[in-house]
Formats: sequence, C-alpha cells, structure tokens
Amino acid sequence: MKAPFSSYLSGIAPGLKELVALLRKTYDYVSVLSADSVGFSVAISQRSKSVSRQTMTTERGTVVRVYRNGLYAESAFTGFDPEKAAEKYEEIVKELDAQLRLLEAAGVEPYETGILPDEPRTVFAEMEAGILPEDADIAALVEKLSAVSGKGMEQGKEKGLNMIDFMVRVSSTHVCKMFLTEKQDLRQSYVYSDGMAGALVASRERTEMAYTSLSGRKGPELFETIEEKIPEALRIAKDLVSAERVVPGEYDVITAPEVTGLIAHEAFGHGVEMDMFVKGRALGADYIGKRVGSDRVTMHEGALCAEDVTSYAFDDEGTPAGDVTEIDHGILRAGICDALSALRLGVQPTGNGKRESFSHKVYTRMTNTLFDSGTDTLEEMIASIKKGYLLEGMQSGMEDPKHWGIQCILDRGYEIIDGKLTGKVVSPLVMTGYVPDLLGSVSMVSGDRGVFGAGACGKGHKEWVKVADGGPYLKAKVRLG
Amino acid sequence: MAEIKNTALDTLLEVLKSSGADAWEVTDREEAGWEFYFIRHRLDQHRAKNVRSFSVKVYRKFGEFLGSAAAEIACDASADEMRRTVEGLRSDASYVRNPFYTLNKPCKADGGAAQEAPDLEAISGDFLRAMASAPETDTEDLNSYEIFVSRIRTRFLNSEGIDVTAVYPSSMVEVVVNARKDGHEIELYRLLNSGTCDRNQLVKELAETLAYGRDRLATSPTPALEKFDVVFSTDPAKELYWYFIDRLNTSSVYRGISDWKPGDTVAPASLTLKAVKYLPNSSKNAAYDPEGAPIRDLTLIENGKAAVYWGGRQFSQYLKVEDSFQASNFAVSGGTESEAELRTGDYLEVVEFSDFQCDFFTGDIAGEIRLGYLHRGGKVTPVCGGSVSGNMPELMGGFRFSKEQRQYDNLLIPSVTRIQNVTVTGVE
Repeated sequence: MKAPFSSYLSGIAPGLKELVALLRKTYDYVSVLSADSVGFSVAISQRSKSVSRQTMTTERGTVVRVYRNGLYAESAFTGFDPEKAAEKYEEIVKELDAQLRLLEAAGVEPYETGILPDEPRTVFAEMEAGILPEDADIAALVEKLSAVSGKGMEQGKEKGLNMIDFMVRVSSTHVCKMFLTEKQDLRQSYVYSDGMAGALVASRERTEMAYTSLSGRKGPELFETIEEKIPEALRIAKDLVSAERVVPGEYDVITAPEVTGLIAHEAFGHGVEMDMFVKGRALGADYIGKRVGSDRVTMHEGALCAEDVTSYAFDDEGTPAGDVTEIDHGILRAGICDALSALRLGVQPTGNGKRESFSHKVYTRMTNTLFDSGTDTLEEMIASIKKGYLLEGMQSGMEDPKHWGIQCILDRGYEIIDGKLTGKVVSPLVMTGYVPDLLGSVSMVSGDRGVFGAGACGKGHKEWVKVADGGPYLKAKVRLG
Repeated sequence: MAEIKNTALDTLLEVLKSSGADAWEVTDREEAGWEFYFIRHRLDQHRAKNVRSFSVKVYRKFGEFLGSAAAEIACDASADEMRRTVEGLRSDASYVRNPFYTLNKPCKADGGAAQEAPDLEAISGDFLRAMASAPETDTEDLNSYEIFVSRIRTRFLNSEGIDVTAVYPSSMVEVVVNARKDGHEIELYRLLNSGTCDRNQLVKELAETLAYGRDRLATSPTPALEKFDVVFSTDPAKELYWYFIDRLNTSSVYRGISDWKPGDTVAPASLTLKAVKYLPNSSKNAAYDPEGAPIRDLTLIENGKAAVYWGGRQFSQYLKVEDSFQASNFAVSGGTESEAELRTGDYLEVVEFSDFQCDFFTGDIAGEIRLGYLHRGGKVTPVCGGSVSGNMPELMGGFRFSKEQRQYDNLLIPSVTRIQNVTVTGVE
C-alpha cells in the first residue's frame, strides 16, 4: 500500500499558501515547510516495559523561510490556524523585524547571499509501505517483543552467560512533509522503522551491553524477524565477556560493514558537508579532483543510494533527493550541499538540506553514506593478514574535517594470525588515524554490502538527525588503542 | 491568543478526566526562542521560534501492576483528535504492565516562588555584545558561532492534583575557533550552555579556547607513554563525574546496569557528590522535577561512600526510595589538594579531545587527543594525536581532584582531576 499523505497538512495547505502570498508582499523569497509525522516506540525488557506514540522524528509544526536585502530569516511555529493567515503574517513580520532592529543596534553586518530560485514544480510522493505505524497492532507487538526478551534471557543462560537482562527496542515513524513556495507544491509521505536487540551481561565486575540492530524504509513488518537477532546479540555478548585489552599499535585490519559505514560517515560524510566549505572548516574543499584513497575506494552519498531510514523524495528545502559520487576510485569528486550553501558556493544543491525538526535550522546533512562493493571475499581477506584484527561493532565516531583526523570507538577486534582467526577477542578499541592514510591503505574490498540506519548523527554535538551508512568489508591499516 | 491556548489545555484535561484512565500526567511546554547564526562576525541568518505541545501519559491499574503509555499531542489538535489519542493510550497502557507504583502528590517546594519571565531581546543583546568582544588576535579568531536564547514555560499537572508552573531561561552558544600560523590553520569547538548570558564567564571561556588554539599549532606528536598520569581540566572532565551520577540513578540500579548500594565505597575517599537545587546561571534551575516532585539539595555520595539513590518516581519506588526526584544540578566537592599540587611531577594534561567518552555500562573511558601538555622532566611540550583510555573502576585508586571547582552549566566539579595509570597511545 501507499503511505497516505497527512490530512492535517492537506487541511492547512490553503491557509499556508495564503500566508506565503502575504509574506511575498514583504519579502523577495518565501518558502514553508510543514511536518506532521506520527509513530510509536516500544521498549521491552525483563525489568520494564514502555510504549510511546513518539519517536525521534514525530512532530507537527511549520517553519517559514523568508529573504530580503541579502539576508535569510526563519520563523518556526506550532498551532497554525488556516483561517488566520493574516494574523500569523503580522506576528512573523513583527518578531523578525524586532530581531533586525536588535542586530542593527549591535552593528551586525549580514553575510549577503543571493536569492533562491523558485521554478514551478509539483511533487506528490506517497511511497510504498507495508503496515503503517498508526495501524500497528501494539498488543501483538508487545507480546512478540516480550517473547523475544524472554527467549534471549533463556538462551543466554544456556550459553553460560551471566544475564542481567535482554532488551528489545523498536520504533516506527510515518513521515509526512509539505514544502510550499509561490510556485512549488511538494508533498511526501513515507514510513521507516528501526530497532535493536541487546543482551546486558555481568562479567568480571564489569557490565557489558551487546546489541545488534535493524532498520529500513519499511513499516512495523520490519520487526517480524527480530527474533533472529537473538543469536547474534548473544554471540557478541559471549565475545565481549571473554575480551582482552589490545596492545596499542598499527595493525592490518578488516572492517565489518557497520565499521566500514562508520568510517564512511566520519571520513567523507562530515568531511564533505559543504556548509563547512562556506565557513572554511573543511579540508575537502581543496581536494576536489585529487586522490584521497586507493583505487579500490568509491563512495556514494544520497537519499537515492539505498532504501533506509532517510530515503526521502525531497529534502527539507524542497531539493530533490540525490545520489552523489563523492569518491571515484580514490579521487574526491564532489561534496554534498544544502540550498543556501550551494548558492554561496555557486554549485547545485544535492538534496542534503535537513533539519532536526521543523523548528531547527537547515544544515548540510548526510542521508545514506556508503562505500561501493568490490570483488574480494571475506575469506580471501582474512587469509591475506599475517597479524591483525577483524573489527566489528561500532559505538561512536568523531570527525575532524579540518585535518581529516578520525576517531572511532569500536566494540570488538577478532585476532587474525597467519591468515586465520585465532578466537581471541579484544575490546574496547579506539581507532584513530589520518583519513587519506586510512583510505589510501584500503587494499581489498568484499563483494557484499550492509546498510545500517538504527543510529543518529549530530552536527558538532547537537542537531540530531537520522542517517544510514555502510558498505562492504574493507582491508586497511589503522592505529588501535 | 492566550485564551485560545488555555482552551486547548482545558479541552485536553477534560478528555483525560472523562477517559476512564486510572491516572494521568500532562506537561504543557511552550518555548519562545531567538537564534542568531554567524560566519565570522557576519550574520548568516536569524530565526524565531514559538512552539508548544502537550506531553501526556495515561495510566491503568491492573492489581499489582500499572500499565502506562505516553504521547505528544499537538497544541492545535482538535478535541476529537485528543480523544482518539487518549483512547489509544488507554488501550496501549493495557499491554505494558509494570509493577505498581503511585504518582507524585502535591508537595510544596521550598523557595518555589514565581520567576520573572526572561527577556529574549535583552538576553540576546547581551550575547551579541559578548561575542563581539571576544579577545581575538590576527592569528586566533572566531570562525563561526550560533546563539540560542529561549524562554521556556512548563506547566505540569497530574491526576493527584499537582499543578505547578515554571518559567526559565535556557541559552546555548556554539563556537568554532580558528588559529593559524605559517599557512596552517586549526579549529577548536565549544558548546556552552547556561541560563542567561554571563558575559565575563563567556569571554573567559573564549579567551581560554583561543589560547588553546594558538598552542595547538605548536604541538608535537604525542609519544607512546603507556601508563601515565593524565590531568583533566576542561569540559571533558564532566564525563568522569557523570559516571558517578548515572550509576546512582534508580533507573540504572533497577535495570541492573549499576550494582552500587548505599554504604558501598564507590569513589575516592574524600569525594562528596550532591544533587543541588540551585547553581548560579544553570539552565536547569527548577523548583519541581518533570514529574512534579519538589527538588531539594541531597547528598548522593559522602566521603566516597554511596549515600542514597536519586531518580524518577517509578524506579525510585521499586527501590523503596521515598521522596526522590529527578535531580538536574549536581556539585562535586571534597578535594584536599590544590590545582598547583595536582600539577606537579610528570603528567599529561589533555585539554582538547576529538570526543572524550565514558561508557555508561562498563566505565571505559576513551578519547583521541587534540591538544595536551606533556609535563616530563621539568619540560612542557604541547602534544597532539594518539589517545587516552582506561576503565573507571580500575583507575579509582589513582583518582585525585582539586579543592578548586569549575562550573559547566548544571555541573559544578573539581577544576582539576588527575588520574594515574591511564593508557596513553602515542603516534610516534
């Protein structure tokens, strides 16, 4: 079935169009983004249960963007009454003018920017969905997840694990967004879901959390297979409780797809967000057309690159979804860009202008960030390593686009000696390095690929949005601590 | 407008009261915000925000169990939509049954007098002037910054009769600092939260960051130090103390993440940790917590021993902790040595990390070094690269902290913390 577009947004659309027309008398450019997204979250463990009709991206509200005298301004609000567009117009102009008076009194000069184009365009995208979050059978889902939690506990104990709990968390969101200008009317509706299953175990005076995740541009039907995640979570838990500390140093490693995704995200995800180019905060601006990785490295970014949690039809500025080849056989080809940064840089926007919610500013943000697959097999890659690790499980990462430093905190390293896994596990791991060195060392790439969208991404330490990343197994050389 | 808004809340309350729910909670949250975004000192864009929503939780009793379900309801939801949502929550609540607990009852907080509504324009003006007065030089300056000023009003009501309102300011500045030398440029990042604008404190923070930027340009690669004394004296030090705070939360204890018990030695002998109701210019000063419980000063760790848990209503009752609350400000004290005494001998003082983290579950700490000062053999060398790592329980024996304190928004902690035997991976 198609995910139906919000009747609430359809209902306020005429009033918002009237508001756009009124604002156009005062401003040279006006756009409106309205969101009405619903969903649910369920968390089940042996110790507590919860259900909420909220997720990270459920919201209802509107933001207006206006332009005058080289300067953009925005007003975000809830509770729009389509019968009172004129009142809202007065409120917006009055408050933004008050801000301008304060800024003028403080002697602030604008960062002058050109006007956004407004070509006639209409989009009405209701994407395919299975079950809608609002139609989900919560009773059946709670029962299913409770059974999974119980089985996880039972099977963990059978494996000799000192189980504290087995947790299952899922969420599903029906996103509806409407972008309006004087000449554009864009509307989209899609559903995405994500979840995790995790074992909490005690060991040697430590508490370890072992988890595995799932995600997709699907409805709650995604959770039908969540029971299959139990063995993986328990396998990880068993590995963590037996893990030793790594001897710090430089190693040949194989990165599992989720670690590959983290590298993609931190290295040439944040590294080529072009709002950073505008501010002179990214080294990538000077490296377009130059080598940043080995011949085996090709990377794509865009909402069209995969069907996962952030695979939309248009971004929060109305730009169509894209698929950017960022790195082509080791050569940095392009970055990703929101609409205002594109104006300032004289390039085309790539469909990567995203907001944390309707009430937040747009920044250049990632969608699906993925390394392309190669032709090697995991077995060949392991056999090629004299001494090193197979790296699995990601905890967090941090970029440094100014210097291309990278920090990834990883879960586990599986020792490889003379081309064979020894069974020894090390944890936790801090992987650090210089991005071109890391990508330049990529010597083998597997033929398969994984995409992971259960996490979220911040800009600096705020502005959290959904992203997905991934890729194949990569063989590279990194520093581990 | 105010009349229309109150009508929405009144409608929601009527819906809840007639829903058949055994209990309910509502938080009516309204935020007015002004935001200013700068590239260098030129205005990128300015924004206004006026948003409101209702957070609702519905409860149903099932003998020894209590079901509950939560939702956010839009402030312009119709009465029908509110009814449908609440009915859905009643249904959801019957599927998730947790051990029974009771909601908070009305209890007057000490000093919970009405606050003056923050003036967005005045606070914004203070921030604009403070940022313009940053002590920049030809080689160290502000790359970009973002100013967020909010006036937040929350009204919490529950079926037990609580009806409390708070109005408070909440501000945030994100700033990126550049420093350059011989054609090479670096950046440092800060995210500073506060109630309103404390101009002197803000300029002091900026001056410190600009100075670190200058030193970052003169770094050598961090040598492999293996096990070494590491000093924390900037923002990442917060992570070390959040570890103690989080491990005493009733949610962590009930869920089995923490096994700490009152009376256990959980911290260095002289360390005392308190939940405090008020910290100067904290963005978290409040008379009541999000569930309507009065907030008060409470000692959580005294001289290294866990004293009492803290936390929300549900898990506190499960652990038989009465009169608990969701604390929002914390203060750590008890240091017996001065900053100067802690900065003696050989040590590595790391002031900038890529991202320093303390794992909530394991106590593992880790971070890549962006700027450190290596004090060895009487010589001081600025260093960069490599990482520090360790495990809090294993490092506790070598954990020392200063008498002097430093405040980071809602957290007042020792200004200098020194830990022995931290693993330092170098890049040489």
